[in-house]
Amino acid sequence: MKKYKHIITTVFVAGLAMTTACKKQLDVKNPNSPTLEQAKTESGLTSLAAGSIYINGFVNGDGWLGDSFFSLCYGFHELLADDVSAQAANQNVNLVNVPDYAILDDGTKVVNTQPQIANLRLNNTRDKQSQNMFYYEWQSMYGLNNACNQILALAGTVPLSGDAGTKLATYKAWAYWWKGYAYARLGSVYYSGIINNGISVTNPTYVNSAALIAESNKNLQQAASILSGITANDTYTALMGKLIPSFFQVGNGQVPSPAMFVRSINTLMARNLLVNTRTSVMTAANWQAVLALANTGIQASDNVFAGFTTTNNYIFSPGGGSVAANTSGDETASSFTISERLVQDIKPNDKRLAENFQQVTPFFNQVGGFTFSTRWKLYDAKIDVVPHNGAIQIADKTPGNQEVYIGPSYEENELMKAEALINTGQIELGLASIENVRNFQGAGLPKVTNTGLNLAQALEELRKERRLSLLFRGTAFYDARRWGVIYDISEGGGRTNAVVLSPNGVLSTHATINYNFLDYWDVPADEVVLNPPGAGSAPVKNPK
Amino acid sequence: MKKNLLLSIFFLLLFAAGNFAMAQNRTVSGTVIAKDDGLPMPGVSVVAKGSKIGTQTSVQGKFSLSVPPSASILTFTFIGYQKLEVPIPANGIVNVTLIPDSRQLSEVVVTGSGIATSKARLGIAVESVSGKALTSSPQASIDQGLIGQVAGAQISSVDGTPGARTNIILRGINTVQGSTSPMILVDGIESRTTDLSQIDPAIVDHVEIVQGAAASTIYGAQGANGVIQIFTKKGRAGKNHIDISSSYSGSNYINQGDVHQAKLSSFAVDANGIFIDASGNPIVRNQDGRYLGIQWAHGADPSIGAPTAMSNPLNIAHQQYGTNLKYYDHLAQLFKTAYTSNNSAAFSGATDKSDYALTLSNNHQQSNIRNNGYNDRTNLTANIGAELFKGFTIRSVTQLIYTKNTLNPNYGIGNAGGIFDVLNASPFYDFNQKNSDGSYPLSLNSGTISVNGSNPNYYTQWANRVTNREDLLQSIMAEYKINKFVTLNAKYGLNYQHTEQNTIFKNQAATLTAIDLGSYYGAFASDPNGELDKSTNSTTFQNFNGSAVIKTDFEKDFHIHLPITTSTLLGYDYRKNVDKVFNSYGLELPVYAIYNFNQTATQAVSFDNTTPFITYGFIVNQKIDFGDYGGVAGGFRSDYSSAFGGGSKPFTFPNVNGYIRPSSFSFWRNSGLGNLIPEFKIRGGFGEAGTQPQPFDRYPTINPGNIGSSLTFNLPTSLANPNLNVEVSKEYEIGTDLSIKGASGNWFSEINIGATYWSRKASNVIYSINTAPSTGGSLIKTNAIGLSSHGFQASLNLGVLKGRDFNWNFTTNFSSQTTTITSTSGPPIILTTAAGSTQLALVAGQKIGQIYGNKALTSVNETNSKGVPYIQPADYGKYTIVDGRVVDIATKGIQFANEVSSFGDPNPKFNASFINNFNYKSLYFGFQFDWVYGSHLYNQTREWQYRDGISGDYDKAVDIGGTSGAYTAYYRSAYADIIGGRNGARNGTKDYFYESSSFLRLRNISLGYDFSKLLGNKVFKKAVLTFTGRNLLTVTKYKGFDPEISSGASNSPFDRGVDHDSTPNSKSYQIGLNLGF
Repeated sequence: MKKYKHIITTVFVAGLAMTTACKKQLDVKNPNSPTLEQAKTESGLTSLAAGSIYINGFVNGDGWLGDSFFSLCYGFHELLADDVSAQAANQNVNLVNVPDYAILDDGTKVVNTQPQIANLRLNNTRDKQSQNMFYYEWQSMYGLNNACNQILALAGTVPLSGDAGTKLATYKAWAYWWKGYAYARLGSVYYSGIINNGISVTNPTYVNSAALIAESNKNLQQAASILSGITANDTYTALMGKLIPSFFQVGNGQVPSPAMFVRSINTLMARNLLVNTRTSVMTAANWQAVLALANTGIQASDNVFAGFTTTNNYIFSPGGGSVAANTSGDETASSFTISERLVQDIKPNDKRLAENFQQVTPFFNQVGGFTFSTRWKLYDAKIDVVPHNGAIQIADKTPGNQEVYIGPSYEENELMKAEALINTGQIELGLASIENVRNFQGAGLPKVTNTGLNLAQALEELRKERRLSLLFRGTAFYDARRWGVIYDISEGGGRTNAVVLSPNGVLSTHATINYNFLDYWDVPADEVVLNPPGAGSAPVKNPK
Repeated sequence: MKKNLLLSIFFLLLFAAGNFAMAQNRTVSGTVIAKDDGLPMPGVSVVAKGSKIGTQTSVQGKFSLSVPPSASILTFTFIGYQKLEVPIPANGIVNVTLIPDSRQLSEVVVTGSGIATSKARLGIAVESVSGKALTSSPQASIDQGLIGQVAGAQISSVDGTPGARTNIILRGINTVQGSTSPMILVDGIESRTTDLSQIDPAIVDHVEIVQGAAASTIYGAQGANGVIQIFTKKGRAGKNHIDISSSYSGSNYINQGDVHQAKLSSFAVDANGIFIDASGNPIVRNQDGRYLGIQWAHGADPSIGAPTAMSNPLNIAHQQYGTNLKYYDHLAQLFKTAYTSNNSAAFSGATDKSDYALTLSNNHQQSNIRNNGYNDRTNLTANIGAELFKGFTIRSVTQLIYTKNTLNPNYGIGNAGGIFDVLNASPFYDFNQKNSDGSYPLSLNSGTISVNGSNPNYYTQWANRVTNREDLLQSIMAEYKINKFVTLNAKYGLNYQHTEQNTIFKNQAATLTAIDLGSYYGAFASDPNGELDKSTNSTTFQNFNGSAVIKTDFEKDFHIHLPITTSTLLGYDYRKNVDKVFNSYGLELPVYAIYNFNQTATQAVSFDNTTPFITYGFIVNQKIDFGDYGGVAGGFRSDYSSAFGGGSKPFTFPNVNGYIRPSSFSFWRNSGLGNLIPEFKIRGGFGEAGTQPQPFDRYPTINPGNIGSSLTFNLPTSLANPNLNVEVSKEYEIGTDLSIKGASGNWFSEINIGATYWSRKASNVIYSINTAPSTGGSLIKTNAIGLSSHGFQASLNLGVLKGRDFNWNFTTNFSSQTTTITSTSGPPIILTTAAGSTQLALVAGQKIGQIYGNKALTSVNETNSKGVPYIQPADYGKYTIVDGRVVDIATKGIQFANEVSSFGDPNPKFNASFINNFNYKSLYFGFQFDWVYGSHLYNQTREWQYRDGISGDYDKAVDIGGTSGAYTAYYRSAYADIIGGRNGARNGTKDYFYESSSFLRLRNISLGYDFSKLLGNKVFKKAVLTFTGRNLLTVTKYKGFDPEISSGASNSPFDRGVDHDSTPNSKSYQIGLNLGF
């Protein structure tokens, strides 16, 4: 009996001791996720520089109305430009683009009971959450900026193999470019913002949009200057090939050479100037500056910053990651429908019209905005039978087929060149640029050069061409703003001779629309409440 | 006469004693049986009164004791039975029957103090419920059975999906990040991953519930939510017992609020009543099964201020269906009667040195939704104990649980999508109509209406899911009583579960839906070619618990004449948990019906994650009792945790409690008071308990993620915080337990009351708060929140009538509790319910769980928070009051404030239950009412049906400023408008849909009859036929299906006030047969 006692007591004590003497085992690391330490190697830094740009910049927080920056944030821009409309209330998309009023052919004045500016501000509170249009682009671009700050902080501290100099230059150019891109988008749509070079921190100093654009240009120039110093193209190309998703690297989405990269930068800087100045007040010097940049901008054969869909592990999904995907297909069920005003701006014999747009049984939007019933649908090349007439395909949900332009494109550069030329008295040269774009996209239109177009006619060619060729590329709202369309009629805004299909089936073709939209957006409440403006800050609300 | 009899016995005894005064010790023997089941009782303490001589009955209930000649009376005591004193007769044979004691104070409990202690000697409240008291339900689960049985606990059956768990709140909200679920222990071992709802109720001997921190301190840094401990049945002496029970039930979904779709409409029709499109053509069903082109009779007309057709006041619902569009009852097409079977067989027995109990049970519960499968659970439990040598016992309890669930992925717990799709499909769609390709249509979107509708049969036709889960809950317990002072106890538990969920989305490429519309049902696939999804997860949890209990009795052990007894608990508790998840999928299935990964085109891993967690702690608790008069106890527990990494400091939780029993003092006993109130105890306690951060909350990482085929890193937008602290809940409680001497007759002979007031404060409560988006992220975890709760709980037990053949027992349990947020870091924390759509807010100074949204104006002169009137006095005449809300007479629109505010506390003011049990000979009858008062639900289910005018409410005429009509615009405004935002607040959270969900429910009614005696057969020890009804009657004003629903995250601390298309509970009728051999 005694023996048992001792044995059992011993076992008890031993058991206790065994499990106690293990304070060390409390040191449990997260076995699933790497820490920043793992990004402090060459391959780790590459992984971070690739993933954080696309995921933090264009995916996180954008899982609404599709699944990326290119469906949600681009979507708002296309709505505001009257390229598409929506009837669903998600993210407030059915209301952000309802004009103040429209006067129909029969004289009826259709008035918006809740003007856009008031509506946007009603929704600029933290509790409105997903309904706040101001929130998304802000959070995406600051996510992108923060990723860049992290890459820049690591680059230079991480040992690199081989041609370390070229690699470091590539990382830095990559980060400065995307910083420049983030500030370009912020400064082009927000009334004010923050310049932030910290990591996961912020500061309360708000600056106006011009300062954001200046910050953009500063970063872009820094990137360009680094790129200009790169001579070892193979090292550069190999690294860039890892930073850009492999499935993006098809067609003109392949790795741009340092020179092509610089040309993308120049085009973006041209855009920074062009879209943030109202066209009516552009000076000759402004046009010359745009022209100078565009002349050193993207060429037809250049690779640019664009992306494609893929079946899985995508940045934007084939079925919903782009405005094109959310507009095409079954027009009675798609998130967006094609605006009558977009189609009316397309020349009837433009092959791009037949290739992409079909007149269908009118879709009467009875629960959304009042100007937005439509007779048009956008083909989805995946399920619809399309003519294959050689023109560019706007929407194709087949994985791998949908291209989305992240940065500027050849067409945009060429049309900026055209606009600068036309506005500086070189109409024919400008029209030639427009034709370059039409040829590039397979429009199949008769030539407009040497047909004696005057300035206004040439500008109308330009306007129409920008409307169509830059569709869904995230710049349409800038155009509507700089051309004045979105402003109140009293400020020279609005448009006449607009096509409007009323919910009762009546088609007006000479309607007047007074949009009266907010030109530069207020800072979202999510920022202002959690990071109140400090002394000397620029106003966070557009006085309009 | 009685007195004389007693006296004579006394003298007889004296005589007998005198006779044997000089004699030797003699042997007394006998058998003890239990009154309630007639079985022998092992382990009954038998003591010769006035001496220290005693023994325990054997497993056959027999005892034999050598007593000195002076001994004249034997005392029999056993937990839960009335103490019995019996004179020793001359022949020395004492056969007794012990009667169960309904007075709760005689119960002995373990939970909360760690040492078996009579409730009479506890300074804290511990509730206990016997296994027999658990009510039976189609779910056959302990948590369902506990509803209403525990004073102070809020247990709610929040979802009618087979396999769904209840929501349990014991005392207040003490954490926000996690869940309110208490810790579950089975025989002292934590059941970390096997949920209470999975454990077989047939194996339950009794359940102990410790609610407060004062008691759960001994469970340390994870005990803040309280503890529910299950004690399993052991084999009992006598011949081997066989107990077989079977029951079968049918149940129908509850639709208390008469939820239905609008039978009227206000669509455009021609002169013949044919529904037409804008061109005047009749609406027809197209080849994809959709009716396109439906228009409201009156379209959007901004010239009269109607931005949408539905806001046009000219649209008035009236009888239209029956022509080219007919009305189908979608609820009848969706729901069906579900059948449930429960079968259980138990074998048990014991010898002198060992005992065994083996139970096999199966529960098979169908879904109330057509074509939607079932949940099937099989439990095998083996409880084997042995005394290897004197003082050393070892016990093994093994539970194997196998659960198979075949519910379709479109239906499940909470808002899984399917019910929403059905309720929001316009009623002119016939779900039973297929397309020409043999497939049901998928989308039933009619363009402008029925936008969110789809055919439920499409999902069951093209997808299915089978989930298999195996649970093992194994515990091995050894107890060694070294001597009268020291007992050592060691327990090791292994709780393992493995779940594999296989979902098949068949190849839908050939359907018209896919060809014409590009639509299909899938999870990962970006085409209609089908996919296989396999999700696996496992949990391995180990728990070692070693303790030493040291007991002393000053009088007996040290011969000090003080009535002091002490018990000391020294314990060590180690827990290790490893969760693993591995999910994969294969894309593109063949069109033939062989579905395996070999026959998919591509395969990928979608998630692979392991979460290890280790915590251990030391417990020291000291209890000192002063005779029957009172006692004090106190101690602490220190915990280490891997959430804080190696080298971290432990966190320590103290507790102290005490009690005094005035009724044990002679001044009380000998006064009239003692006569009136024979038992009166006051108790009080203070304690702290904690909730640890999640394993890696303090551990900053970056995120890995695939882009195409490359592995990349990105930065988290929700940041971990290395400075997080443990959440601490501090509580004090004060309570009383008392017995009142009832009437002397058969009526009201017993009255027992227990009541406790408690108050607790939780600090450092962890939650992710928003950060400014310019930081590049949106959230960071912090010790953000402070909480303050208090509550009152009471139970009253009445022996209403005690007769020879007839017994009537009544119990009522009461609980009221409330939790206020005392602080948050920074501005309000705004959230959306996990069920989707409804906003919640965590705001300092307000109750937790509040719904946050726009309130309707109730008078024309209301102002906003800045004092600005919403309506100018000149315009007052344009408005009227309808149903208490301000309505614009012209537009018919309800006027909602455009600022948001909290709607109030959705949690119940109290919940109570009333339990009656009647016995007449072999007949048993009982029923239980549950009353939940002051609760609210946000009826999001109803709000979504307002979107396209599908709710049945649209049929109801309202009087607006003297004209009456079923105005579409009136109802639509509740969904879409706020002041300044006509059509601009669609599906906004509005107080219009915030409804009282108080209810009184006949939870259970049961009639049983034991006909074993009728059979006159010795084969059956019992043969009980039972009829049971559950949820048969509900009284409520709630307009949804079921006022008990909560669609938020399971056991969420704050997300409990939303009803969003969850499966309602069912009312069921059950017939059962229980045979004992």
